[in-house]
Amino acid sequence: MTFGAKTSGSDDLKAILSAISTLVEEATFVATAEGITFRGMDPSHVALIDISWPNSAFEKYECDSDIKFGVRIDEFSKLIKRADKNDSIEISISEQNMLLVTVGKNKKYKIRLIESSATDTPLPKIPYNSKITLTSSKFDKILGDVQVVSDYLTIHTSDSKADFSGKGDSGEVIIDLENDTDDIDEISSKEDSTGTYSLEYLNPVVKAVGANAGLITCEFSSAKPLRIEFKVANIGRIHFYLAPRVES
Amino acid sequence: MESTSKRLELTQHLVELFENTPQDVISKIVYLLQGKIRPDFEGIELGVAEKLAIRAISKSSGLTTKKIEEEYRKTGDLGQAATIILEQKTQTTFLVENITIERVYETLFKIARLEGSRSQDMKMKYISSLLNDATPVEASFILKILLGTLRLGVAENTVMDALAIAYTGSKENRKALEHAYNVSSDLGKVAETVASKGIKGVEDFEIILFNPIRPMLADRVKSEREAIEKMGDEFAAEYKLDGERVQIHVDGEKAVLFSRSLENISKYYPDIIEKIPKSVLSDQVILEAEAVAINENTGEFLPFQELMHRRRKYKIEKAVSQYPITVNFFDILFYNGKSCLDVEYQERRKMLEKTVKEDEYSKHVPMKLIKSENDLEDFLENSINSGCEGVMLKMLDKPYQAGARGSFWLKLKREYRNELGDSLDLVVIGAFFGKGRRTGLYGTLLLASYDEDTDTFTSICKVGTGFTDEYLDQLYQILSSKVTIKKNPRINSEMEADVWFEPELVIEIVATEITLSPIHKAAMDEIRKGSGLALRFPKFTGKIRFEKFAEDASTNEEVINLYKGQKKMAHDKNLM
Repeated sequence: MTFGAKTSGSDDLKAILSAISTLVEEATFVATAEGITFRGMDPSHVALIDISWPNSAFEKYECDSDIKFGVRIDEFSKLIKRADKNDSIEISISEQNMLLVTVGKNKKYKIRLIESSATDTPLPKIPYNSKITLTSSKFDKILGDVQVVSDYLTIHTSDSKADFSGKGDSGEVIIDLENDTDDIDEISSKEDSTGTYSLEYLNPVVKAVGANAGLITCEFSSAKPLRIEFKVANIGRIHFYLAPRVES
Repeated sequence: MESTSKRLELTQHLVELFENTPQDVISKIVYLLQGKIRPDFEGIELGVAEKLAIRAISKSSGLTTKKIEEEYRKTGDLGQAATIILEQKTQTTFLVENITIERVYETLFKIARLEGSRSQDMKMKYISSLLNDATPVEASFILKILLGTLRLGVAENTVMDALAIAYTGSKENRKALEHAYNVSSDLGKVAETVASKGIKGVEDFEIILFNPIRPMLADRVKSEREAIEKMGDEFAAEYKLDGERVQIHVDGEKAVLFSRSLENISKYYPDIIEKIPKSVLSDQVILEAEAVAINENTGEFLPFQELMHRRRKYKIEKAVSQYPITVNFFDILFYNGKSCLDVEYQERRKMLEKTVKEDEYSKHVPMKLIKSENDLEDFLENSINSGCEGVMLKMLDKPYQAGARGSFWLKLKREYRNELGDSLDLVVIGAFFGKGRRTGLYGTLLLASYDEDTDTFTSICKVGTGFTDEYLDQLYQILSSKVTIKKNPRINSEMEADVWFEPELVIEIVATEITLSPIHKAAMDEIRKGSGLALRFPKFTGKIRFEKFAEDASTNEEVINLYKGQKKMAHDKNLM
């Protein structure tokens, strides 16, 4: 078995680990000839992250047979945080079930791998009727605006208009968006849709990946899960799925 | 099971449960029935606070913590509140996994083992994951286990009855199970053994070093006369020291210490762990002793309270040098790898004396053979004079009955007296809502003394003991008409009560002692700047002083005099 992957900088990996750490404490990665993937659900089964990091995104990538490896996310991120922005990071696996991590030219870490427990997590298969693409900074701001009065975010789309709203014990807020400002790339909907999602899950992941993502795309249908795609330059896919809240 | 208190009915439910339980989960069921995940001595605690549980319910239901708190206040039981809340849940999930015993157990186990900065969040998520998939009723039980408030009314004896019936066909075999439990303190393991190996497996149960043995307990007698009548012509008497009863397991250099309630307390007594293996002249032993705080200068025994300074998380080393102890051995249960529970008391005492070498730190508890009432009176007198609580009386030819309270051992204490010498009449100024059986009533009252100088009522203690169900009802009737929306300005209290009252009702309280308090306001700054006075172990006497006005309650001047009085008594005692 040969496995080795080397990045040219540390930002992407930091973003990925920080996104994963908002959901789980132990993560199982799968490496194949095509690249590295991760899929995991938080213990409450409310949110799911699906990441695919293609071999082309690496400076060097080698994997001759499929392997799974599990790490404790906090341990792994702690040492990746020691890397400077431009430090390359190289990972491989030793026979003694250790993950070898070379940070920059001269720092060589080893951390213990854990038994990978992940079962195959299926992705929600649903048609998305509405789509909003906007800058991550704008989205982050909207979440902050809504958080002031509410624990959850309601998204509503109608044709090429969208509004974000929230309601709590102290009051409510509504933020209208139209398809014409610099921050908004696209609003489209096949039919009017309204979905409500917990900020407790949205906030941390948007904060974690936001800075590295230029644009993000939110897709949803009424009372159905929300899918957020973060567009990070080198990473093939970061999808975040969030189950809706429905009034009973 | 919650709805019946009849033991036979409970047993029947349990028998059915066990008969339908696969062998490999029986131990988990037995732990969970008692609201545990492992035997107590392993010290694995769930450590989930109500706040965290409320956040988890909020997360699973999508309703605000405020709504949940309201419901909790109404029902007085968070499990029940969760049932109601989760029926209205709004948060959906991607998948639903079955709630099985294994899953609940494994998740609880994970929660118990989490530590570190993000552990609270992770605990919350694990709890929420169970609540998401549980039916509202299941959720209620899961929460009760997490919070340690599960009260199924299933006593250990009932579990053993049911195990005996389910796996050996006869309740008669309970005795064997009981013995196995008494020597291992692990009911789950006993259950697993009887389920897989039958009664034979249980009969072969032996003491395992470092698994605590359930201690033998003593009946109480009131007088020397009664003691003689019960113990016969000749018996042993030992000083009953006012310390902490400890069970010490030693294997060579290694020692582990268990409390009377079988908690591993090694970390509070690093001195015992270090020194005792050196005083033990045998490889593998289990010993029982009383750890007692002493005055280093005089060698005198100090009261039990002094030892509590050692129950702290940090700076144990400092506490060890500040609060020195001696370890006073009185029994031996395991010697050179063999049980000596069946050995007669007098033989065990000889073995003990041979096994433990006495020095400055390790002692044998003073023991005397008693042959007459006079002997006993003298010995009791001596024990009291040296700072003991009384004496323990032991039959010479009897074995050690692990886990049993019997008449082979008796305790004879000084007569109980109200340590403060006087009761206090205090004003009820506030209350905290009751939980469990006290739901819907005031569970704890906040009391005040009267400050004549400022004409205010200063908080002095919370009291929750001494109340029968009748008193609780009566007090609720009386007090609910005195509730005020805002705290009466004559009330001086930093502690926030759930409800405030007009300061009118006076009740009688006894307590063991008056101590300085950073929270309570009675006699603030009088004894020490920034400190008030508070009652220690307050207890309601049952007397509501209807004839008194609030202004007739005990004054702070009286409280100060009582405080000074007890200081003097303690001082006098030290001079003796």
